[in-house]
Amino acid sequence: MEKQWSEMTPAEKRAARFAKWLAPPGIKFVSRRAEQTYRERVNRLIKTITLQTPDRVPVILPMGFFPAFYAGSNLKNVMYDYRELRRAWKQVIRDFDMDVFDPPALVWSARAFEMLDYKLYQWPGHGLAPDASSYQYVEGEYLKAGEYGAMLENPTDFGLRVFLPRVLGALQPFQTLPPSSPLAGMPMSYVMSFSRPEIRRAYQTLLKAGRELEKWGRAVRDCRRAAVKAGVPVLRGGFTTAPFDTLGDSLRGTQGIIMDMYRQPEKILETVERIIPLTIASAVATANASECPIISIPLHKGEDGFMSRQQYEKFYWPSLKRVLTGLINEGIVPLVFAEGRYASRLEIIRDIPRGSVIWWFEQTDLALARKYLGDIACIAGNVPASLLVTGNPSQVKDYCRRIIESAGQGGGLILNGAAFMHRGNPENLRVMMEAAREYGTYR
Amino acid sequence: MGDNLAGKTREEKREERLRNWLRGEGIKFRSVRARQAYQERATRLMKALLLQKPDRVPVMLPIGNFPAYYAGGNLKRAMYDYRFLREAWTRFMEDFKDEMDAFHGPGLVHSGTVLEILNYRLYKWPGHGLGDNVNSYQFVEGEYMKADEYPALLKDPSDFALRVLLPRVVGSLEPLRHLPAFSSLLGMPMRLVAPFTRPEVRSAFKSLIDAGKEMAIWQKYVLGFNRDSLAAGFPMLRGAMAVAPFDTIGDSLRGTQGVIMDMYRQPETLLEAIDMITRLTIEQTISTVRDSGGLMVSFPLHKGDDTFMSDKQFEKFYWPSLKKVIDALIEEGIMVFLFAEGKYNRRLEYIRDFPKGWVSWQFDQTDMANAKKIVGQTCCIWGNVPTSIMCTGTPQEVKEYCRRLIETCAPGGGYILTGGASATESNAANFRAMMAAAREYGRYQ
Repeated sequence: MEKQWSEMTPAEKRAARFAKWLAPPGIKFVSRRAEQTYRERVNRLIKTITLQTPDRVPVILPMGFFPAFYAGSNLKNVMYDYRELRRAWKQVIRDFDMDVFDPPALVWSARAFEMLDYKLYQWPGHGLAPDASSYQYVEGEYLKAGEYGAMLENPTDFGLRVFLPRVLGALQPFQTLPPSSPLAGMPMSYVMSFSRPEIRRAYQTLLKAGRELEKWGRAVRDCRRAAVKAGVPVLRGGFTTAPFDTLGDSLRGTQGIIMDMYRQPEKILETVERIIPLTIASAVATANASECPIISIPLHKGEDGFMSRQQYEKFYWPSLKRVLTGLINEGIVPLVFAEGRYASRLEIIRDIPRGSVIWWFEQTDLALARKYLGDIACIAGNVPASLLVTGNPSQVKDYCRRIIESAGQGGGLILNGAAFMHRGNPENLRVMMEAAREYGTYR
Repeated sequence: MGDNLAGKTREEKREERLRNWLRGEGIKFRSVRARQAYQERATRLMKALLLQKPDRVPVMLPIGNFPAYYAGGNLKRAMYDYRFLREAWTRFMEDFKDEMDAFHGPGLVHSGTVLEILNYRLYKWPGHGLGDNVNSYQFVEGEYMKADEYPALLKDPSDFALRVLLPRVVGSLEPLRHLPAFSSLLGMPMRLVAPFTRPEVRSAFKSLIDAGKEMAIWQKYVLGFNRDSLAAGFPMLRGAMAVAPFDTIGDSLRGTQGVIMDMYRQPETLLEAIDMITRLTIEQTISTVRDSGGLMVSFPLHKGDDTFMSDKQFEKFYWPSLKKVIDALIEEGIMVFLFAEGKYNRRLEYIRDFPKGWVSWQFDQTDMANAKKIVGQTCCIWGNVPTSIMCTGTPQEVKEYCRRLIETCAPGGGYILTGGASATESNAANFRAMMAAAREYGRYQ
């Protein structure tokens, strides 16, 4: 690149990221055919995202943890055994015709979870039945109503001594660390805390978990590379969350954050303000490390049923918008997943630059979404998981046809599930591809 | 300890701390004689601190690292050979047990091995940047925080300390630069583990763990000695150590030159940072005292000295924050000891403004007659036999100097005889001369 990154416009940055996505560095494709298909697929996505008309509607197969079950294994096994993880996800690469691949980056290492005594999830074999097909998130008031001040004054200190010990049992000894040890006074007082065996043990566990995650990370990267080499682009360059959700999901919990909207609204806004730049910086760093310019953002507490429109406009959207803008300005394409219903938000979320975001809807009517957003953003969705799990292939295919007909005119649509089909009939996924080819080809 | 102090006035809290200290709570005295000596010494020191008249002027020997040499070794050996360290201090204590009311244990003789494991850059020490025979450390000042880094420090001080400061001052922690902002883990705790997948980050923490293990061994010897000295009847004065907020910035973040520039170029930012550090210092110090149950907090003061800054600067940058910390400690019933290194002749009017008997000042080169007149009304004063006389004078000269100090400072109580600074290179006879002077000239009727 001749021009310095910092001097480039958002459009130039995105063009550079798209170019990298089209020709991923360090990848040797298995064949010329694979390379060609890869380009076609990425081009199809780029055209759809930028609201041009591609050759046909692209498809995201909503697999979630499906590969584990498809390979005759289950979520529990692949969480504990990275060889199984590789085997399952690679089998899906071989067996399915698909436009994009979702690497198992969210199939966490249960070994690392166990070492750390991770409390935010229950998983199969750990709080859930061994054959459970997903996690259970464990909400809690991990930040107490009276602790905003301490967190804002010295976030890292609060994180180390208060938050982490609450959510990672292995780090409980950190609760007894002196406040802000490394700063006030001398660095030696920080080192001093390591003279205590329980503090050393906590760090040793972190080191062990780090080694474990290094192995796990290799497995995830392997699957990722295998897909790209075979000609299937990866759709996610990383994840992040909406600032309000960071606070509402894992710090205050639903009940806590709802109370705060009434009792201490300023504290929410102040905290969210602090979270914005951190969110942007870490998402940009992840995107930079990937060939794929898409950052996925699953949304939770801004849903129609969670808060009023006024609350959405005051607490939720402004910070999310700033994160989206921050990412767009860096040439990144946010893939925003509006879980639940978003009908009453469609007017508000129009307020972004054209052709720069993918909005993926779960239960929002896509025709309606198209009406509000069609000239602004690419939309994705939304074959119901219930249909995918319990329906037959022709029902699924028919549903896809109706989506394409009602929301796919001229491009701007990615056919996708409403949520994941972790377990079910493989044919129900295959017919999504079929439907796109049959009904979603543009001329 | 914190719990049964809750809801009490500062006087009641101090009362309770003093009572425990005087009684020697939890000390296994080695003899009836030792218990008696402990109580005599503690009572003597306490009365001086409270500005009452004890039986005689108490003596705190300014030994520095003298015990290492007295035992035939040197600082280097004491830093690496913990058994020697403990033996040297023990030998000194036994030989001088009738020559002092208090002295410092070996807690500031750091473990050379720990410093090496960490590749600690704030000190040079004998055998590591200094000659093998050098008898003290050399502090290595630097601009460890750059002039434009105040906003980062203010926004998230511990993050700055972990990811910016530590990698600069502790060589083996350089890889901590790769950590993500810890605050971004709030809500996403598994991100914490991501940097630990990098071998160099793991090796940084491994060196911390190794250093911690080594430090635990060192602590065993140091704490062992401290126990012995209590058992032998020597009350311990120094509880927690703390640093004046301005010094935290001037000594270990910006360095002398940096902080002086900041007073002119970005005074508001500097004050904002001082304010933040003041709050942290208060929180941390009180929590340390609650955990350790000590009697006093002691501050070695550096950059507020007469020659470092003008009166106006002292008034604006140095004193208000330090005063705030001291006041907060007093409110907790904690007594405060400050060591005013250098000269404090121009500061005396400021630093006297405390309730009577809560604060002690040890002076280095300050005129003691003035100190007595101005500060001595409210604070116990300590000092200040010059190191030069301790190291090069004869016992008679030392004794004579002590006599004059006692005549100037002792009347009415509130005085402890000690050095202006520590006198590692002094000799046994000169140390003995201090107690001789106190016995001969320092009796109260």
